Amino acid sequence: MTTKDRWIIWFFLTPALILMGVMLYYPMIGTVIESFYDTSFISPEPRFVGWTVYEKVWNSRQFPEVVWNSIYWTIGVVLLQNVLGFFVAMLLNQGLPAQGLLRALVLLPFVLPGVVTAILWRFMYDPQLGLVNSLMIWLGLFEDNAAWLANADTAMAAVIFVAVWKGFPFSMLIYLAALQNVDKSQLEAATIDGAGPWRRLIDVTLPSIKDVVVVNIVLTLILTFNYFDIVWVMTRGGPQNATHIFPTRIFETGFGQFRFGEAAVYGVFSILILAVLVALYVIVQTGASRRRPTA
Amino acid sequence: MNLAPSTRLVLILCQIALAFFVLLPFFWMFSVSLKPATEPFAIPARLWPESPTLDNYVTAFRPEFRTYFMNSLIVSGASVVITVSLALLAAYSFARRTLLILTALMALVVLAQMFPHSAIIIPIYKVMRTADLLNTYSSLIIAYVSVTLPVAIWMLRGFLLKLPVSLEEAAAIDGAGPLRVFFEIVVPLARPGIIATGVYVLIVTWQEFLFALSFTSTKEMRTLPVGLNDFIGQYGIRYGELMASSVMVSLPVIAVFFFLQRYFVAGLTAGAVKG
Repeated sequence: MTTKDRWIIWFFLTPALILMGVMLYYPMIGTVIESFYDTSFISPEPRFVGWTVYEKVWNSRQFPEVVWNSIYWTIGVVLLQNVLGFFVAMLLNQGLPAQGLLRALVLLPFVLPGVVTAILWRFMYDPQLGLVNSLMIWLGLFEDNAAWLANADTAMAAVIFVAVWKGFPFSMLIYLAALQNVDKSQLEAATIDGAGPWRRLIDVTLPSIKDVVVVNIVLTLILTFNYFDIVWVMTRGGPQNATHIFPTRIFETGFGQFRFGEAAVYGVFSILILAVLVALYVIVQTGASRRRPTA
Repeated sequence: MNLAPSTRLVLILCQIALAFFVLLPFFWMFSVSLKPATEPFAIPARLWPESPTLDNYVTAFRPEFRTYFMNSLIVSGASVVITVSLALLAAYSFARRTLLILTALMALVVLAQMFPHSAIIIPIYKVMRTADLLNTYSSLIIAYVSVTLPVAIWMLRGFLLKLPVSLEEAAAIDGAGPLRVFFEIVVPLARPGIIATGVYVLIVTWQEFLFALSFTSTKEMRTLPVGLNDFIGQYGIRYGELMASSVMVSLPVIAVFFFLQRYFVAGLTAGAVKG
């Protein structure tokens, strides 16, 4: 490309930029505007009401529930998914016989469509017919028809488990790629110095993949906070709102009850929380690329 | 690295445990899909039906299912083609020029991939309603192209950055115009990146649920994920048919993924690890 061909940059960029502007950036602003209007099933014509809807949502019983559930859900999934993903990446990087096959098989849950995953696990958790309770009986853990998804105390943990099952392969892939870049000679030097596997992990491996770990955690934080399909199909936010997180609450308020204003307020709150996470991501990313010598 | 025999044994046991953890639900899905509707569920569960049959697949492959399947195929297929084309054009501009405004725009593209779909869906819904596009393929295709574009641009840009510019320069010196350079040099060289991005768009759109649930209300327009969700109520506890449908929904993406896995993994991890 020469300078006189500069038109082609904009010619190539325009379709994508217009589409993203109209369908992603405009709706971000649209949600904020929407949150100051009241619409309901009875009066579908939007009325400007200022901060009224914010007050209504802020003082509702559901709001603290949704905030608390979202925190529980996000931290639970992110922590478990990254720990599991990291250790599985370690396990599949030792040169054991079945390594190649397992690296491929482990990706299966990641590819399984979300709704299929949710339906399959609803069935796995079925009190009478499900495999989970049968496993408990076979292993002699307990003999009880525990209704994992119908009990408000266990529902969230049960859904988190499924999200981790589906999500850990993604984290593993990224950790595996990072582990393969760890300097072998450093590991060997540590071994000669008498470091055992744990010391090697803490002194050599972890420091050299630190950036990937942090970026991976913030990335899964953002993805997990936005999760919708598995939670909705498995529990619809229930029982007793125990698994309602921001996306499910927004969908139910907006498309279940047609209270678009209230749904938009929940949307604005979730955008604000995400903005914090994204800022974190940007800080971490720039820090990481500054430390890299060949970026 | 040499491992002590005892460590090796522990690690192999871990591998077996991992295989069980990952595969048991798949095995169970498949096993129940083969269970005749007449065979009662054993309590505790039996891992393999007494007389496996394909009956559930025949029953589950009903006219509605075929409609949903076609809808998914049309919507996902169109999204893959359109997203990859638009993303390749945009990624080329981002990869070959270092203007300040392009850097800023690229930052906006990266930012957009983190937008929560649930928080932006109401204005999008209203746009679709005003344009009279609800219950059409177009509404889903437009939405899917928009939400997959940011990651697609990011993946393809990473790919193009690694291609040597010298070929393009040589062609330009030989008198090839910018469009010819793009279509005859860049596009063929970017093939692995195009495939990786296509697989990404396919995986995302084949399972997309939120937009499909909100924008389609008629049976004729529903896609597989929404249709499958409807089946939960309709089938009651006819788990055999539900699992057979699930297998049929999953097989296409799993097949494509395993066929093209190495492209996808390379595309994803290169971007994520190298930044």
